[in-house]
Amino acid sequence: MKPTQQTDYFQLIYRLLLGLISAGFLWIIWPYISNVVLILVFAFLFTTVLLSSVDALEKRIRSRGLSVLIVTIGVLAGIGIFIGSFISQLSAQASDFSSRVDPTTLTAEFKNLGERFITALPGFAANMIPSGGDFASTLSGFVETVINNLASLAGAVGNFVLNAAMILIFTIILLAEYHGFRKSLVGYISNKYFEIGLRLIFNIEKSVSSYLRGQFLSAASVALMSVIGLGILNLSGANLTLIVFIGIIAGLANLIPLVGPFVGMVPAILIAFMNNIGNEVALSHLLFGAVPSPFFILDIIVMFIIVQQIEGNLITPTLVGKSVGLHPMIVMIALIIGGTILGPLGMLFAVPATGVLKVIGQEIAFVRRNAHLL
Amino acid sequence: MKNALWPNLFRGWNRTESETVYTLKQVPVFKDFSKKEFTELEKLVHHRTYASGDFVFKNRAPGEGMYIIMKGTIKITIGTRSGNEQVLAELEEGDFFGELALFDNEPRSANALAVADSELIGFFTADLLSLQDRNPQMTNKILMNLGGMLGERLRNTNHLLFEAQAKLNDETNTAD
Repeated sequence: MKPTQQTDYFQLIYRLLLGLISAGFLWIIWPYISNVVLILVFAFLFTTVLLSSVDALEKRIRSRGLSVLIVTIGVLAGIGIFIGSFISQLSAQASDFSSRVDPTTLTAEFKNLGERFITALPGFAANMIPSGGDFASTLSGFVETVINNLASLAGAVGNFVLNAAMILIFTIILLAEYHGFRKSLVGYISNKYFEIGLRLIFNIEKSVSSYLRGQFLSAASVALMSVIGLGILNLSGANLTLIVFIGIIAGLANLIPLVGPFVGMVPAILIAFMNNIGNEVALSHLLFGAVPSPFFILDIIVMFIIVQQIEGNLITPTLVGKSVGLHPMIVMIALIIGGTILGPLGMLFAVPATGVLKVIGQEIAFVRRNAHLL
Repeated sequence: MKNALWPNLFRGWNRTESETVYTLKQVPVFKDFSKKEFTELEKLVHHRTYASGDFVFKNRAPGEGMYIIMKGTIKITIGTRSGNEQVLAELEEGDFFGELALFDNEPRSANALAVADSELIGFFTADLLSLQDRNPQMTNKILMNLGGMLGERLRNTNHLLFEAQAKLNDETNTAD
């Protein structure tokens, strides 16, 4: 065997060992650094989303600091107004609901709904539901569990507020110093890989920002279409309230691919149920005059499916295009991996992270092709 | 003992422009820039150091932007160092090269080699595009200046081509 080949093998083994040791080290320290990494990732994503607004404002008022301040205050005010009015309207809705419904009626309604649901199912599907299953007691048990978990929920809320404050601080710093940070970062790249490094960073920025902008555009379109759809359902007597908030929540949920659209339906279904409980007309409503749709639940599901179809097949391809250009199979695998590692947050970041990995892969392939020229 | 208070207090008063701004001012690409615009540009550009014998870039390598020489000497060549190398230019302080890469995605058309320890200022497509979002007036000035320079080069090339053609015609007529 030639000495060069031997050296190559040694180098390969050395690199493999180094990689394994690094991975092991990361595995050990991950529980201690995961929170900080997550905060930085969120801050980076918010920076990417808000960067173009700050840059555009800086173009007009010629002050970076002031632009960051105005954009941050604007975003915080928007979130504050949304959450504040949502909570106040939701509490009004809840108190109205509790004044209208007593626990006995509620249990009876649950039971009635469960029976109607089973009757509406085709024979083979109805047989699959275990007999004697009490829908009402299951739901009551679920509600009890939720109440018992309220204490741990309070702790989680405190943790969330702390993390949100840290994300806000990091986002402000990153927004104000973004171009300086990027310059410092590329300063560490060796001369040989300098231009290729610049190109890689630029392409990653472009890919992430176009993906995020696309996502927010499609979320806005889902929110708008949902509000219109729910308004139309109201015209046919669905008696839905908070439709603007439901629309915004559906739009935000849409940011999580594949799973999000279904999550977006839940608030609408809950509101439909709360508002129509005890209403015999709503309970015996038929979709298209043929399919049983108690409390307009099926109407809502169909409306959201139509919204998703318009968004997925018409709006996103036109407005966003293939922003990341990942195969649907890869998107699903990424979502499963992201969901397993970080839960819903992982699902939110799975696609942009895979997009970044794709760009890095493409650039590595590009460097390998042009290695003799560097 | 020397009193350090007064020199420190009025330190900023007689501050002269930085070496980077001084170098950038010599480059026609940044002609007609105001003092503020040069300060903005200074924040954007990258400082790179090359030892003698280092390649800044090689022929056919992907190009991302232009370099301005702050210190040292850069040799622009085509061909390889082993044999058929042809020196196109030897550039000194204040000179610049690679500016075509700001316009197109084409690979480099020559080698750039440091023949002495050199300090370069780099200005790249990513910087130009980021500047375009924040300060379009500055970007317009850069593009107009670059366009003017390329137009002048085209005119010179046309003139040289015309002269070469005329010379060739004369030689053909004489031979007849």
